[in-house]
Amino acid sequence: MTIKEFHEALKNRKISAREVVISYLDEIKKKNSELNAYLEIFENDALGRAKEIDERIASGETPGELWGVPLAIKDNILIRGKIASAASKILENYVASYDAFVIEKLKKAGAIFLGRTNMDEFAMGSSTENSAYGPVKNPRDMSRVPGGSSGGSAAAVAGGLAMAALGSDTGGSIRQPAAFCGVVGLKPTYGAVSRSGLIAMASSLDQIGPIAQTVEDAEVLFNAIRGRDEMDATSVTWTPDVQVDIRRPLVKTIGVPEEYFGEGLAPGIKKNIDEAVKKLSQKYEIREITLPHTEYALSCYYIIMPAEVSSNMARFDGMRYGKRTDGDNLIETYKKSRGEGLGLEVRRRVLLGTYVLSAGYYDAYYSRAQRARALVAEDFKKAFEEVDAILAPTAPTLPFKIGEKSRDPLAMYLSDIYTIPANLAGVPALTLSSGAQLIAPHFEEKRLFELGKFLEQ
Amino acid sequence: MISEEEIEHLKDLARVEFGKTETKKLAKDMGDILGYVDRLKEADVSVAPEMTRALEEVKNVFRKEDKEEEITHPTTDLIDAFPDKKSNYLRVQSIL
Repeated sequence: MTIKEFHEALKNRKISAREVVISYLDEIKKKNSELNAYLEIFENDALGRAKEIDERIASGETPGELWGVPLAIKDNILIRGKIASAASKILENYVASYDAFVIEKLKKAGAIFLGRTNMDEFAMGSSTENSAYGPVKNPRDMSRVPGGSSGGSAAAVAGGLAMAALGSDTGGSIRQPAAFCGVVGLKPTYGAVSRSGLIAMASSLDQIGPIAQTVEDAEVLFNAIRGRDEMDATSVTWTPDVQVDIRRPLVKTIGVPEEYFGEGLAPGIKKNIDEAVKKLSQKYEIREITLPHTEYALSCYYIIMPAEVSSNMARFDGMRYGKRTDGDNLIETYKKSRGEGLGLEVRRRVLLGTYVLSAGYYDAYYSRAQRARALVAEDFKKAFEEVDAILAPTAPTLPFKIGEKSRDPLAMYLSDIYTIPANLAGVPALTLSSGAQLIAPHFEEKRLFELGKFLEQ
Repeated sequence: MISEEEIEHLKDLARVEFGKTETKKLAKDMGDILGYVDRLKEADVSVAPEMTRALEEVKNVFRKEDKEEEITHPTTDLIDAFPDKKSNYLRVQSIL
């Protein structure tokens, strides 16, 4: 059942919030031990909230669009009073002392949280195999990865263990698992959604976004969580543009970038994109475009991201919160706490970031990457002078087998090759269940929804 | 491409530990990754500015110099999170 369908049924009193929550909790009990999508279930809270919702409806209140909607929340988004571990050992027992901005908004909107979902530790990974609490399995094929890092959220939605979910996307962490699990995922424009209460990975790239069964549901969730927040200086005010005539299409031309169809793109995925192009061409003009600096995006990302990671991860030192492992002196305690509390991939990125930022290497790596980032962003700017939206694949391959790439970090990194450019440029991108990715200019998410809905029909 | 000596230095800088076998693989993995990102050297970045933020519209903001707002969250949450404490004080090893 989608958010829209549930809302209609709830409004017409054909269904109660409680019975829906119970049915999801039953599914979770049946399937989660194998899927490992959730790290913790908030059974009592969810039932209590559902009861409240039902009572309010019984007393004559008209339900809002998200009343009673059972959601799964990625474990790096803070819910006050609940553990937020980011799937790391160092935060195993860390209890959030405040609500993330998006959680505050969703609580006010009447949504229900079913639990917190498994992920790659601190959102660093593309398969959810980097969790300190075991890998997540893909509900479409249990021998394969669900993608990552929001693999638990995507698997929960795809497996019927949540109506929708929240994830976070730094280099593709919402879109790639959405594509791998056959659901819808949106990475909003940088600044559209507040990052307050999101455990930071790379602050100039991170965004929270929805994972849902349909484009319409993703849109409902996005509209519920977006907006300016005092606690995030990079969040931007959003004023709904009421003048938009919904009957007039927002998009006329769609660009297909040649750089996204090179070597390494699996034929099955290319076929899906070709079909999307064919369908879109019935209503829109399709144009071949070029994003010439795409080939530098991944290199650029693997300098900027670890640099930001190394500074963001400095706070996890076992001092004020988190797990502490005592050594002979303070420095040893720092090293041991981080050595034992943080997984290998996290430490690898911390070291890589330390390297590219260290004296003598700054110009060769970090400064150069920041300049290359400007070129990647400029590519999009130029393309959007010519076209209204872009269509591309989300991932170069179909979901790989669990264990297939976990020993080779570089091979794993390559699975984000088509998603990273949108993060570098800060533009919004929507992945559909077919694996197609739509990209629009800053704050033009509505174009993505228009095209997404058309393709879903 | 990256020596074990450099790795040891980086571990100290980043204040992080790796096991022996981890360190061995680390040198190879870091070499692979740095080898890959080296293709950036081919890019002509001479005309591009350093991009320091994702959106041009976003500016740094500072909190107003007003009187402190009332603390809404009880500090007990934070004190409870201390890994080691004595009454309400955070306990750490001596720094010097």
